[in-house]
Amino acid sequence: MKDKIQLYDEYVNGAIGPVKKFIIGFLILFILVFFMLDIALGSVAIPFKEIVKIFFSSGSDNEAWIYIVEKIRIPKAITAVLVGCGLSVSGLQMQTLFRNPLAGPSVLGITAGASLGVALIMLSAGSITSLYTIQALGISGSWLIILASSAGAALIMMIIVAISSALRDNIIMLIVGVMIANITLSIISIWQYFSAPEQIKEYLLWTFGSLGGVTEHHLQVLAIVIVIGLFISFASSKLLDALLLGENYARSMGLTVNRARILIICSTSILAGSITAFCGPIGFIGIAVPHLARSLFNTSNHRILIPGCCLIGTALMLVCDIVSQMPGSQTALPINIITALIGSPVVIWVIVSRNNLRGF
Amino acid sequence: MTEKSRNSNQACRKWFSHACSHIVILGIILSIGIYSCQQPKTQQHFTEKAKSSARHFVKTTIKYAKGFDIKYVGDYKIVQILNHSAQKTDTTQFVLIQRGNPAPAGFKKSQIIEIPVKKLIGMSSLQIAMADFAESPDIITGLNSLMYVNSPAVRKNIKAGKVKEVGEEGSINTEVIISVHPDLIMAMGNPSASLSRYQTIENAGIPVLLISEWLESTPLGRAEWVKLMAALLNKEELVDRKFAVIEKEYNRLAELGRKAGDKPLVIIGMPYKGSWFVPDGTSFMARFFKDAGADYSWADIKGTGSMPLSFESIAPIALKADYWVNTGTVNTKAEIAAADERYTYFKPFKNNTIYNFNKRINDLGSNDYWESGVVNPHLVLSDFIKIMHPELLPSYELVYYKKIL
Repeated sequence: MKDKIQLYDEYVNGAIGPVKKFIIGFLILFILVFFMLDIALGSVAIPFKEIVKIFFSSGSDNEAWIYIVEKIRIPKAITAVLVGCGLSVSGLQMQTLFRNPLAGPSVLGITAGASLGVALIMLSAGSITSLYTIQALGISGSWLIILASSAGAALIMMIIVAISSALRDNIIMLIVGVMIANITLSIISIWQYFSAPEQIKEYLLWTFGSLGGVTEHHLQVLAIVIVIGLFISFASSKLLDALLLGENYARSMGLTVNRARILIICSTSILAGSITAFCGPIGFIGIAVPHLARSLFNTSNHRILIPGCCLIGTALMLVCDIVSQMPGSQTALPINIITALIGSPVVIWVIVSRNNLRGF
Repeated sequence: MTEKSRNSNQACRKWFSHACSHIVILGIILSIGIYSCQQPKTQQHFTEKAKSSARHFVKTTIKYAKGFDIKYVGDYKIVQILNHSAQKTDTTQFVLIQRGNPAPAGFKKSQIIEIPVKKLIGMSSLQIAMADFAESPDIITGLNSLMYVNSPAVRKNIKAGKVKEVGEEGSINTEVIISVHPDLIMAMGNPSASLSRYQTIENAGIPVLLISEWLESTPLGRAEWVKLMAALLNKEELVDRKFAVIEKEYNRLAELGRKAGDKPLVIIGMPYKGSWFVPDGTSFMARFFKDAGADYSWADIKGTGSMPLSFESIAPIALKADYWVNTGTVNTKAEIAAADERYTYFKPFKNNTIYNFNKRINDLGSNDYWESGVVNPHLVLSDFIKIMHPELLPSYELVYYKKIL
């Protein structure tokens, strides 16, 4: 009897039992080890002693090693952490909001909106990028892409928020979101159809996703935005719990459902939009990690699930990044290929073996 | 069976039925007699005509290119487009017959091209360069895009409305192509790729020839594809003569470059988001570097053109490289810094030794490097030698390359 009470306590109220403490401790240790491994492994073999030396005192006899560790590997590892947290939390929010296990950050068309912005810049190269007004702003190269991507994501987000404040039904909202994504993607396809092959190639490379394109300067901006997005998510975890019990119940608890919904959509858009802007559309993590978190922590309480998603998302992204580097070889695979290739079997295994996918 | 022979057969049958209806008794024996002896007569006539035209062309031989071969059999030529994969060599065969001749027997699976080609649709700027080289720019009657043209003669024809735009590969306007009804379409492509996207056009009786000059492992082999154009135009003598000049000049320069004492370290291309596509050791670009007396770090890697490398595997070389070439669409140092500020740490960036092939971009934004650069390997090599060993060519001025500042 006591066990049942404890289980209920854990499942609904999010109390942290010894098993969960162990899982959290293990995940933190796992992340620390793999963060170091992500920095230590790569195409160029650098002795671990040197890595530690560069990491803590930033000194080494080999200048190329300093460059690789400081300018390439550390920014990439930090990006992996930010992406892992941001995408999984935004996926969790979408699954809860729409009470649909297949929802993810891309479901509202935010990712498609970001792609639209990028396509506008890349596929019209030579006309848009040489526009006098843009040149006068002194924005070019990577920042221009990031700005365009954020603007695209923001545009779609505003449309979604406007529609969602008029619509009361979440399922209709979900369908509208998917349709908007489709419209956006077909606009991009039209552009692609009429673009030169080298422009299409550049755009295609962007859609593969990449953690390696984020430099130190980008990282500062990305980190600030992700922290803001995560903060909003943590703050709204009570709202999410209430929404999970149904909108009528939430309303009866005195929750202004519409305001909660807009808050959740905003934080998702900030997280998914900024990550897509900096790294390209990275699939899978946003859909899969929330399921892993629910399964591992055996709870539907968002005060547990949100940090849980951050930990699992980070761990998974770090592993994927290490694999995509294919340590020892000179080539690197795009991250998008790896996330689905490694992640999907993991999700199938965890869900099937524990058979406790709950929360809907 | 080609259009021509089918027509002559039909004419015979018509004549046959006509005779039958008028001379009933004699008809059968006589008409069979005439029907059967008309064929060799016509053929004899054609052979004579072909013999006279066969005298006009010199037989060319392929020395450097590995992607195609030309065989001369009697009055026709056989062009083989070769696809060398790891284990086997696939061959696509084209039979080039003199205009008006019947197709030789035994080539049912091959496409037949009537030469000299008078109307050609080119799907890349390379065909313009090849036609220009063979001094027949007027054969270009269709192009994938009218924007990417440098040849003055072709641009004049475009202005006069003699050249049609047929659209990029994948979105080609089949109706325009069929209305132009060219003798041949030449497109860039991998010989191993399926021809399906041109199936409708082939069904309309228009032969499609896929050129894979970019797979050649030597610059001279790449340029030698003009000999294919020569065979199509019966201009072997002219093209052979011009190619021999280029060959001699290239080999003279290559000897000069290879003898150079110091070998500066060179990197090539522009990375994007952590991956960097570089030409492998078997590519013609690696050969350019070798002949220009440069040190290229991936010269020993065998492959089929280019390979994607991770940023960090190139970084150690880029940091200490002497020269950085082919930055593609990036034309200023500011743009390089804007693309990724990490590139500003590279030695060529600090020493101002970045060169791009953007000197000959015309008012339309078309780059002649992709056009005439292919058939002028000696000029590209001269540019590389001038960049990396200026003392070897003191009075030479860069043709295709320009320093990026």
